[in-house]
Amino acid sequence: MSELALRPFLRQALRHALVAVAALAMFAAILLVAGKDPLRAAADTCRSMTTVYGFSELLVRMTPLLLTAVAVALPSRLGLINVGGEGQLYMGAWLATAGALWFPAAPRWVLLPLVAAMGFLGGALWAAIPGVLRAMKLVNETIATLLLNYVAPLIVSYSIFGPWKAPGSSAYPESPAYPDAALLPAFFDTRVHGGLLLALAALLAYWILVDKTRWGLQMRAIGGNAEAAQRLGIPVAVFLVAGLALGGGMAGLAGMGEAMGVHGRLRQGLSPGFGFTGFLIAWLAGGRPLGILFMAFLFAIITAAGDTLQITQGLPFSVVNILLAMILFIVLARRPGGAR
Amino acid sequence: MKKHSFVALLLALACFAGRAEQPKLVIGAVYVGSVNDYGYNRSFHDALAQVARDLPGVKILEAENVPESATVEGIMEGMIQQGAKLIFPTSFGYAASARKMAKRHKDVAFEYAGDGDASRNFGVFFGSTQIAWYPMGVAAGRMTKTNKLGFVMGMPIGYALGNVNAFQMGARSVNKNVQTIVVVTGGWADKAKEAGAANALIDQGCDVVGMHVDSPATIIQTVEARGCKSIGFQSTEARALAPKGWITGLGFTWAPFFTQVAKDVMAGKFRGEAVYQGLGGMVAIAPFGPSVSADVQKQVNDAAQKIIKGFNPFTGPIKDNRGSVVLPPGASIGNDQMGGFDWYAEGIIGKVK
Amino acid sequence: MTTPLVLGVLAGAVLSGTSLLYATLGETLAERSGIVNLGLEGVLLMGASVGFAVTAVTGNPWLGLAAAALTGGLANGLFGWLVVTRKANQLASGLAMMFFGFGVSALVGAPHVGAVITGLPKWRPAWLGALPWVSASTLFNYDLLTWLALPVALLVWWLLFKTRWGLGVRAVGESPAAAFASGRNPALLQFQALGLGGMLGGVAGAHLSLSLTLTWAEYMTAGRGFIAIALVIFSKWNPLRAVVGALLFGGAEALQLQLQARGSLISPFILEMMPYLLTLLVLLAWGGSRRLAAPAGLGRTFFGSD
Repeated sequence: MSELALRPFLRQALRHALVAVAALAMFAAILLVAGKDPLRAAADTCRSMTTVYGFSELLVRMTPLLLTAVAVALPSRLGLINVGGEGQLYMGAWLATAGALWFPAAPRWVLLPLVAAMGFLGGALWAAIPGVLRAMKLVNETIATLLLNYVAPLIVSYSIFGPWKAPGSSAYPESPAYPDAALLPAFFDTRVHGGLLLALAALLAYWILVDKTRWGLQMRAIGGNAEAAQRLGIPVAVFLVAGLALGGGMAGLAGMGEAMGVHGRLRQGLSPGFGFTGFLIAWLAGGRPLGILFMAFLFAIITAAGDTLQITQGLPFSVVNILLAMILFIVLARRPGGAR
Repeated sequence: MKKHSFVALLLALACFAGRAEQPKLVIGAVYVGSVNDYGYNRSFHDALAQVARDLPGVKILEAENVPESATVEGIMEGMIQQGAKLIFPTSFGYAASARKMAKRHKDVAFEYAGDGDASRNFGVFFGSTQIAWYPMGVAAGRMTKTNKLGFVMGMPIGYALGNVNAFQMGARSVNKNVQTIVVVTGGWADKAKEAGAANALIDQGCDVVGMHVDSPATIIQTVEARGCKSIGFQSTEARALAPKGWITGLGFTWAPFFTQVAKDVMAGKFRGEAVYQGLGGMVAIAPFGPSVSADVQKQVNDAAQKIIKGFNPFTGPIKDNRGSVVLPPGASIGNDQMGGFDWYAEGIIGKVK
Repeated sequence: MTTPLVLGVLAGAVLSGTSLLYATLGETLAERSGIVNLGLEGVLLMGASVGFAVTAVTGNPWLGLAAAALTGGLANGLFGWLVVTRKANQLASGLAMMFFGFGVSALVGAPHVGAVITGLPKWRPAWLGALPWVSASTLFNYDLLTWLALPVALLVWWLLFKTRWGLGVRAVGESPAAAFASGRNPALLQFQALGLGGMLGGVAGAHLSLSLTLTWAEYMTAGRGFIAIALVIFSKWNPLRAVVGALLFGGAEALQLQLQARGSLISPFILEMMPYLLTLLVLLAWGGSRRLAAPAGLGRTFFGSD
C-alpha cells in the first residue's frame, strides 16, 4: 500500500476519533451536571482496566457480545430482524444444562461438545419458532422474538425452582453444579474461558458462510429482494427459518458459555442485556465481522467503565447507557439518507 | 478505529490520576437494590453509616442496583482495587461470586448475608427473621376480622417460606380459624406486580397483609389505600407509609455486629464464622401502630420475650398444608437451617413450587 | 366478602391496562405516520422517573404529570430529529433511545428512590360505590388518567380518522412522497404525530409511578413498552381496538396474580408467561390480516424485505 491509501485511512480514523471525543465530551457534561468529577472518573476507569485481571475481565465481557452480535448479523443478511437474543441465550443455557444433567458421567471429550451442541440447539429452536411464523407470513419476527424474550427466563426460573432445584439450595435456588467435564476450561487463573474460542470460531464461521459460500450469496440475494430471489428458484421460506435458527443458535452458544464458563450452574440473571447490546454492536459494525470484533471490545470497555463509575463516583450503573446512547446518536445522526 | 481512538483518549486522561487520602479501613458494600428502599438494602446502608460514625477513619464504598449476575465480581474487584479490606455482599444471589473473590483475595475479609459454610476470610451471617415472624402472626391473628391474612412473596426461597410459616403458626396460636394466602410476584422488586398482588389478596378477603420483598413501600401503600392493615418487613421505618393501618413489623439491626466485625478487621483478628441472630440481636420489632390495643401489644411482646428466651415454634410434630408430617416429634429447626424450608404450614393457601 | 374472579381480573385489568393503553395510543400515532419507535420503553421510563422526581420535589402530582408528558414529547422529538431530519435507521435509533431512557431515568430517579409522594387522587361516584360488589373492590375507584383512558382513545381515533390533520398523518404513513405531492409537509406531520405520541407515552409512564405503585425503581416498566408495540399491531393501528388489547393484556397479568390468591396449583412462573404467550397467540391467529392493515410506509422498516 502506498501513502495514497493511507490518507483516506487517516481521515477515517480522525473522524472516528472525533465521534469518540464528542460522545465523551457530552458524557462529561452530564457527569458535571450530576455533580461528579469526569476527569477523576476517567482516571479510575483507566486504572482498573490496565491490570491483567482488569483486561481479562474485558475479554470475559466480550465473549457473549461477539456471539449475540453474530446472532443479529447473520439473519440480517436475509433482511430479518432478530431482537430475541436474550431469550435465545437463556434457552441455549437451559438446553445445555439439560445435557449436562442427563449425562453427568460422560467423559469430557464427549460431554463438552455435547453441551455446546445442545446450547446451540436450544437457541436455534427458540429462534426457529419466530422463523416459521415469519416464513408463513403470520407474525412479524421483530415482535415475535421480542415477546419470546420474556418467556425464556421464566422457563429457566421454573426449572431451577422446580425439577432442577439443587438439593440443599432452598435458600437461593439454582441448578446443581455441572460435572467438571461439562465446564469450559479457564485460562491463567482469570475468568476468561473456552467460550471465547467458541465465539471467535463462530465469528469466523459467519464470515465464511456469508462471504465465501453459495448459501451466503443466496442469503444476500434474499436480503436484497426476496421476491426476485423466489423467482430465481431460491427456497426463500427455508432460508428464512434456517437463517433465524442459525442466528438463534449463536445466541444459544452465548448462553451456554455464560452457564458453563462463568457460572458453573444454571441460575437466574444470566444476561444483563447481552441480546440488545449485540443488536447495537451488529448494527454499528454494519454486520462486518472485523467491525463486530472491534465494537464488542469497545462495548466491553464501556460497560466495565460503568461498573467502576458506580463504585468510585456513586453513579447508578445505568448511567453508562447514556454514554452508549450518545455514541449511537452521533453515529446515527451523521449518516444522512437511510442507513443499511 | 473507534476503539483505538477511545482507548487512546482514556489512556491520555489517565495521566490525571488523582490521589486519595489513606483511611484506616475501606469497607465495600454491594446492594441488589437502592438504599432508599425503606427495606432490605436500606437496613445495611443505615448500619454501615452507623459504623462510619462510631469508628473513626472508616471509609464506605457502596454499589447499588447490582444484579445477581457475573457483574458483581467486577464490582467487588473494583472495590478491592480501591483498597477495600472488608466486603459485604448483601444479597443471597451473590454467593458464588463472593466465594470466588474470597478465594482469590485471601487478605480481604468477606461477610456474606446468607447461608453456607464459612472459611477463614469468608464469614456468613443473617438475621433470623423466621422465628421472629411468630409474634407478627400473633398480632395479625388478633387484628384480623375476616380471618384471612395475605402474604406477598418475592420468590419462593427457603427463608421466605420460613417467614410465612412462622407468621401463620403465630396467628393460629391465638386464632384457630385463621388462614394465610400467599401470592408470589416472581421477583424481589417488581413494583407493579406487588401492587397487583396486594389488590388480589384484598379482593380475596384478606384484611391484614405481610410481605417478604425487598421494599415493603408499594405493598404497604396499596394496602393502606384500601383501608386494610399491614405488617412491615425489612425496615422499621416503613410505618411512616401507613399511618392508619400499620400494626407492627420487623426490621434488621445490623450495626452492633458490623461494628464488631470492622473492629476485628482493623485489629487483624478477623475469623470468618457463621453468625445467625434472631430477635433481640440482628432483628427488632417495630413500634406498634395507633389501631393496636394495649392487650394485643402485651400478647405480642410476651410472645417476643418467649422467643428471646429460647422458644422455637419450629419444633415437631409439624404438619404441612397438605397434611403430611414434615417435622417429627422432638425435632426442631435451628437458626442456621432457616434456608432449608420447602413446605407451607397448615392453614397456608399456596403451592411451594 | 371476596370479589368474584371475573370482577377481580377486570379490576386488575383496568388498573394495569391504563398505562398500557396510553403507551399503545402514543405508539399508534407515531406508526400511523410511518415511524416505529422501538425505544418506547425508554420514553415510558423517562416519563415515570421525571414525573416521580418532580412530584417528590414539589409535592404536587399534577405538576409531575405535566412534567412527564413534556418529557415524553421531548424524547420523541429527539427521536424524530434522528429519524425524520437525519433520516437515520428507525430500529437502531429506537434501541438507542431505549438505552438513553434507561440511563436518563436512572440518573433522574436515583436521588428520589424511597421518597413518599402523594399520588394522583382517586374518585369513585357515590352511586357506583353503593353497589355491593363494587365497594369492596378497586372497581371504579380511579384516578383521572384511568377515567380519561376511554375518552382519550376516542379522541385519538377522532384525530386520526375524522380530521384533516389525521388524514394528512395517515397519508404520510402510506407514502411520504404522495403526501408531499399533494401539498402536505410530511416532516412536520411526522414531528407532530411523534410529539403528541410522546406525550401520551410520558403520561403512560407517569401512571405507573404516580398512581399504580407510588414508587420509582429502575426498569420498573418491565417491558411494557415492547408489549405496547405488539398491541399496536394487535389492534391493527386502530385506537379503539387498542382498548381491547390493553384490557386483554392487563387482564392476563391480573389473572395470574388472582389465580395465585385463590390457591391455584400452577407454578407462578408458568402463570407469569401467560400474558406474553397470549399476545403471541392472538397475533398468530389474526396475523395475516394485520400486515395488510399496516401503514405502507412502515412496511420497509418494520417488515423487512417484503
